[in-house]
Amino acid sequence: MGLGDIVKQQQKALTEPEENKSEEVVQLVGFVVGDEEFAVPILSIQEIIKPIEWTKVPFVPDYVLGVFNLRGNVLPLIDLRKKFNVPSDEIDENTRFIVMKIKGEDVAFVIDKLTSALRIPKKNILPPPDTYNNEDDIIEGVGRMDDGRIITILKVDNLIKREEIVPNRD
Amino acid sequence: MDDLMELLDDFLVEAFEMIEEMDQDLIELENNPDDLELINKIFRVAHTIKGSGSFLNFDKLTHLTHHMEAVLDKARRGELKITSEIMDVILESVDAMKAILEYIRDYKNDESPDIDIEPIVKKLDAIVNGTFGSDEGETQEDKSSVNLDEISIENVDELDLDNLPPEELDAILDKLVEEVNKNDTENEKNEEENEKKEEQKEHTQAESDNKPVVKEEKKEPVKSEKKNLQQAKKDIKKQIASVKEQTIRVDVKRLDQLMNLIGELVLAKNRLIKIYNDVEERYEGEKFLEELNQVVSSISIVTTDLQIAVMKTRMLPIGKVFNKFPRLVRDLSRELGKKVRLIIEGEDTELDKSIIEEIGDPLVHMIRNAVDHGIEPPEERIKKGKPEEGTIWLKAYNEGNMIVIEIKDDGRGMDPEKLKQKAIEKGIITPQEAENMSDKEAFMLIFKPGFSTAEKVTNVSGRGVGMDVVKTNIEQLNGIIEVDSIPDKGTTIKLKIPLTLAIIQALLVASQEDLFAVPLSNVIETVRIVEEDIYTIEGKSVLKLRDEVLPLVNMADVFEIEKILEPEKYLYVVILGLGASKIGLIVDRFIGQEEIVIKSLGEFLKGVPGIAGATIRGDGRVTLIVDVASLMKLAKQTHNKKLVTDSLKEAKKKKEKPEDYVVMIVDDSAMDRKIMRQALEPLGVTVIEAKDGVEALNMLKQNDVDAMLIDIEMPRMDGYTLAQEIRKYNKYRKLPLIAVTSRATKSDRVRGVEVGMNEYITKPYTQEYLQNVVRRNLKL
Repeated sequence: MGLGDIVKQQQKALTEPEENKSEEVVQLVGFVVGDEEFAVPILSIQEIIKPIEWTKVPFVPDYVLGVFNLRGNVLPLIDLRKKFNVPSDEIDENTRFIVMKIKGEDVAFVIDKLTSALRIPKKNILPPPDTYNNEDDIIEGVGRMDDGRIITILKVDNLIKREEIVPNRD
Repeated sequence: MDDLMELLDDFLVEAFEMIEEMDQDLIELENNPDDLELINKIFRVAHTIKGSGSFLNFDKLTHLTHHMEAVLDKARRGELKITSEIMDVILESVDAMKAILEYIRDYKNDESPDIDIEPIVKKLDAIVNGTFGSDEGETQEDKSSVNLDEISIENVDELDLDNLPPEELDAILDKLVEEVNKNDTENEKNEEENEKKEEQKEHTQAESDNKPVVKEEKKEPVKSEKKNLQQAKKDIKKQIASVKEQTIRVDVKRLDQLMNLIGELVLAKNRLIKIYNDVEERYEGEKFLEELNQVVSSISIVTTDLQIAVMKTRMLPIGKVFNKFPRLVRDLSRELGKKVRLIIEGEDTELDKSIIEEIGDPLVHMIRNAVDHGIEPPEERIKKGKPEEGTIWLKAYNEGNMIVIEIKDDGRGMDPEKLKQKAIEKGIITPQEAENMSDKEAFMLIFKPGFSTAEKVTNVSGRGVGMDVVKTNIEQLNGIIEVDSIPDKGTTIKLKIPLTLAIIQALLVASQEDLFAVPLSNVIETVRIVEEDIYTIEGKSVLKLRDEVLPLVNMADVFEIEKILEPEKYLYVVILGLGASKIGLIVDRFIGQEEIVIKSLGEFLKGVPGIAGATIRGDGRVTLIVDVASLMKLAKQTHNKKLVTDSLKEAKKKKEKPEDYVVMIVDDSAMDRKIMRQALEPLGVTVIEAKDGVEALNMLKQNDVDAMLIDIEMPRMDGYTLAQEIRKYNKYRKLPLIAVTSRATKSDRVRGVEVGMNEYITKPYTQEYLQNVVRRNLKL
């Protein structure tokens, strides 16, 4: 590429900011829970680990499996199948724990299988249709992939709520 | 500016410390009014505060301390006898000093509109003038203190500085510095007029950059006397400073951080010990073990020492709390017209800073109670043949991992029957409950909310809130309260509090499959009982232990844990004590005692009933730590609705016919499986088959298996690993595992025992032999 081309390209980039904005892409990580594919923003993920042993905690909703030790920190473990009312399944070699930061705290979620890192243009993300059960406001939107797949994008911050886990706290 | 703020902070910290000390000394002085050394000490403190106060331009504080100092000065010269009345005034002025200091702390100046020191100053002056007590409390200029007014720069040479006591020298220095300052300002004004403007500019620049003291040294027209004085003053300050350099102040946050790091170290140490134990079993007799053992022990010793050392840096002597009590007792007894002597012992006993902060209020309540309710008025005491003056002992001492604080009085004591009566009247207990109550339990009634035995409610105590608060506070610290009392002889209350809150000793117990750590400070004892030891009284399960009757609950019921284990002949009970109550908790197994580091469950899970936090064990697993206070509450609810005997029946499942028993065969060879199946057929038991360890583990979770026959050589997961995995579950701790293999060497057998096999059958075997082994293990 000659110098002239580069200059041209830069000019183009400068004169067409509008078009660039609509081309803005969101980077997500896709995973499967039950029969459905979900995704969360890549930046909200702290790490993804293989399942390890956890300890049950009394008096919490069934989707809170318990707590486990991640390098010296005690993290809560949430079963997304139970959270989404999908019948439970055995943990197998595809099962993963996704550790995400929610309101400043690390929380791990059990998912059935990772799919891939996704780049979806913002314009392809639509608000959740009314037919969706979105009582908890946990769905950010629905992404349409080029191959026709539909992916539900989750609102990470709303995935679990304190008051639902330990009610009547002082 | 920052320098000044720092200076102010230092001043406040120092001043508060000194005042606290002064408070105590004053009380002592009242008892020994002729102790010259004591008076001198108090005088010095007042003087120091005055000095620093004036340096920082706190006029009100200076004014007050100045007049107070005058009184003390007179006393130390023997011209004044300290009476109770005079002491009242002095204490009043100390209180005013405290108030002003608090105001300074909050607002950085002492011009508090709410604190009026004039009336106190007038009283102080009256004392100095000998007119105190008479009606005319005329204010007069105080002249009897250090004759500062007569000293000036001009005549300072005449003073014999070497022979002056340091405090007086200090005062003189202060005075002179002040004077020189004044002169300087005047000089400056002259300079302003006379000197060139450039120079002037520089001058003011330098001046505003420096603190007032430094300013003097930079001034040009310095008189030699002043320089000497400055030097002398500096020397004295330096001397004092070099004595004080023995300690440094450290931000508590840094200590907390250090404590966290130690916590990690303790976890790593526990893990190391666990690994060593595993290795020891396997490589017994090998040389490197000895070396490893040495390393592990030395690390474990160093870690423990380090932990203690850091814990100690967070420790403060309990004297910090005890110090305020002589004053409290004095004021209270005067107010109530009683004569009370307070004897403090063990004020050097040390406690974690966070605990020190929490312990003050409960102690105030209890001391107040002792003075108000415990000690009788003088007439009553004389009538009873007791000395007119009552005594309260406040003692602190160490007992194992706990510190004991004992409050004892020789007052009227408590009558358990009266307490019960009162509690029944107030509807706190039923007459039936009262009947079953021991004396000790009756004493504990004083901690119930809404309970107060004082016939008349004074503003000191008797509102029935105090002791309840005491209990809550002590419970928050995981402490235990014990009360003992004899009518007309007195009452003793003991508070037992753990030394620290971050790293604790815990008893690890298992309820069904789940492990819990119970703070050892709350475990009174552990006992093994049989079902017949459990009684039912009024529809509730109780355990009779020596002369006590304790409520009894199953831990699995409290935490709603699914029951999968069959109850055994013996039941294991942890007797928990907290504050004033005790309870028996049935667990399925005692694991042992361990040092644990408390970690938070995080924002989402904190506040789960009955759980205080979590700890990470040597094997890396998380174990929940029981919150004893919250657990006791839950246990009481459970106790009211569930009988232990019913709960024990829940897990019992009867097996009657042979086909109720399930035997699992694990072998990768279809032929071997067939041979075993045929051998077992005559027994009539149900047989299921797995091809390898992984499959066996999954099938085990789905089936209720009573015994397993396991081949050793298998793909994916071999027999040893399988046995090891199975034994990790409490539920399968007693499941018979029978190795069936052609590996017959001694080391193979040893390995089998190590991983938890119950029997070892070598191929080939006779059908009969296999049947016998299985029958024996199933107890058919």
